[in-house]
Amino acid sequence: MKDALDLLQRFSGHPDSRCWYVAWDPEGALLASCGGDRAVRIWGKEGESWVCKSALSDGHQRTVRKVAWSPCGTYLASASFDATTCIWKKKEDDFECLTVLEGHENEVKCVAWAPSGSQLATCSRDKSVWIWEVDEEDEYECVSVVNAHTQDVKHVVWHPTRELLASASYDNNVCIYKEEDDDWERRATLEGHTSTVWSLAFDPSGQRLASCSDDRTVKIWKESGPHEGDASDAWKCVCTLSGFHGRTIYDISWCRLTGAMVTACGDDGIRVFKEEVTSDPDQPLFSMSVHVAKAHSQDVNCVAWNPKEPGLLASCSDDGEIAIWSYKSEDV
Amino acid sequence: MSMTDENDDLFDSVLMADDRFRIEGYREGFEEGTRRGMIEGHNHGMIHGAKLSSEVSFYYGFAMTWKYLLQKNTHGKARKRLKAVEVLGDLIQKFPHEPQHENLQEDVERIRAKFRQVCSLLNVPMNFCDYVHGSGSQDF
Repeated sequence: MKDALDLLQRFSGHPDSRCWYVAWDPEGALLASCGGDRAVRIWGKEGESWVCKSALSDGHQRTVRKVAWSPCGTYLASASFDATTCIWKKKEDDFECLTVLEGHENEVKCVAWAPSGSQLATCSRDKSVWIWEVDEEDEYECVSVVNAHTQDVKHVVWHPTRELLASASYDNNVCIYKEEDDDWERRATLEGHTSTVWSLAFDPSGQRLASCSDDRTVKIWKESGPHEGDASDAWKCVCTLSGFHGRTIYDISWCRLTGAMVTACGDDGIRVFKEEVTSDPDQPLFSMSVHVAKAHSQDVNCVAWNPKEPGLLASCSDDGEIAIWSYKSEDV
Repeated sequence: MSMTDENDDLFDSVLMADDRFRIEGYREGFEEGTRRGMIEGHNHGMIHGAKLSSEVSFYYGFAMTWKYLLQKNTHGKARKRLKAVEVLGDLIQKFPHEPQHENLQEDVERIRAKFRQVCSLLNVPMNFCDYVHGSGSQDF
């Protein structure tokens, strides 16, 4: 195998705690991280090393589970187990808490910004997905609450170009939502995983959705278009990657620049998958390009491709560490 | 009828008595159980039906009151809120009254979701625990 994933740097992001999630800003220059220590930290490169540029520490009372940058890179949203979502605004090198979104009954598990920047989605253990709208005065208003899942909702992700939202849950399903008459409605339920679905990622074109699960598989779903006489949209599973992962797959990231897919696994490993160039779009084939067995000393919680630099990858783990990797493939 | 046949019948009735009484007992027990089950189910249904009804009625009263309060306001924000309140009212008016309705659970969930959105829009804290169903409690 000529492909390689080289470690560039490893640093303790959240000492004596879990690092739950990392997110690159749209310019790919800053990395935001969050963890069990209730903190959000912003990392930037100085010379060859990554240093903490700012710490956002007074926003949350409990674990911060996920962070998300707005498409313009000016705002950062953080979702916490304290049932709130904070919106932070960048001011020069510092961040100030602009507003706190309340409404979920308990732990907020994920937050995601729509590509337009004017909408935000949050999901929670209370089984609901909330869609918020932002106006010009930085005011946030809830436009819809959807109860489509029967259990804890783990992840929400927006389609890269269309007004389409997907969510993953402890009820083993993935749901797809669209706006209908000022309200958001479930348009499809993707059934197939046999255990919790932990994360989701759209492919660069937005035609396919990848889901990763506690059942140790990755599934690729493709929209087969609305059928006649059927009000809901149809998504079918066109590929299942099984046999590669030894434990739960916690996160998946699909690179906008290279098309490579990377997974974060509970067996401490990171795996990169490449799609066979010749494969039929309705029956895609993926091969494992790289497997780093002990990428971290504990569960890998998150993997994120850099949006600007091809092959640059960030990962984080239960051991509190953040690692920066460089992926090289003969095709990249 | 020969002597041997009578003897067989006699033996049969003795030997099969166990089986016969078992069948009879089962039938009687089944009937009694059905009767008691009906009463129990009826009571259970009454309690849960009343609970659900009072929850949905609470939302309706809430929606109607806010509709009245917001109607006089012509601000852009208030219009948005009024619209959400009206949607909640419409959802409840369309809510079916027959328990056999197949989308009952789905319709209830939709009303609950709308109520939560309305509360968020109106900045009303959701502390109506006597009326409102929370995600933590058991579904009916």
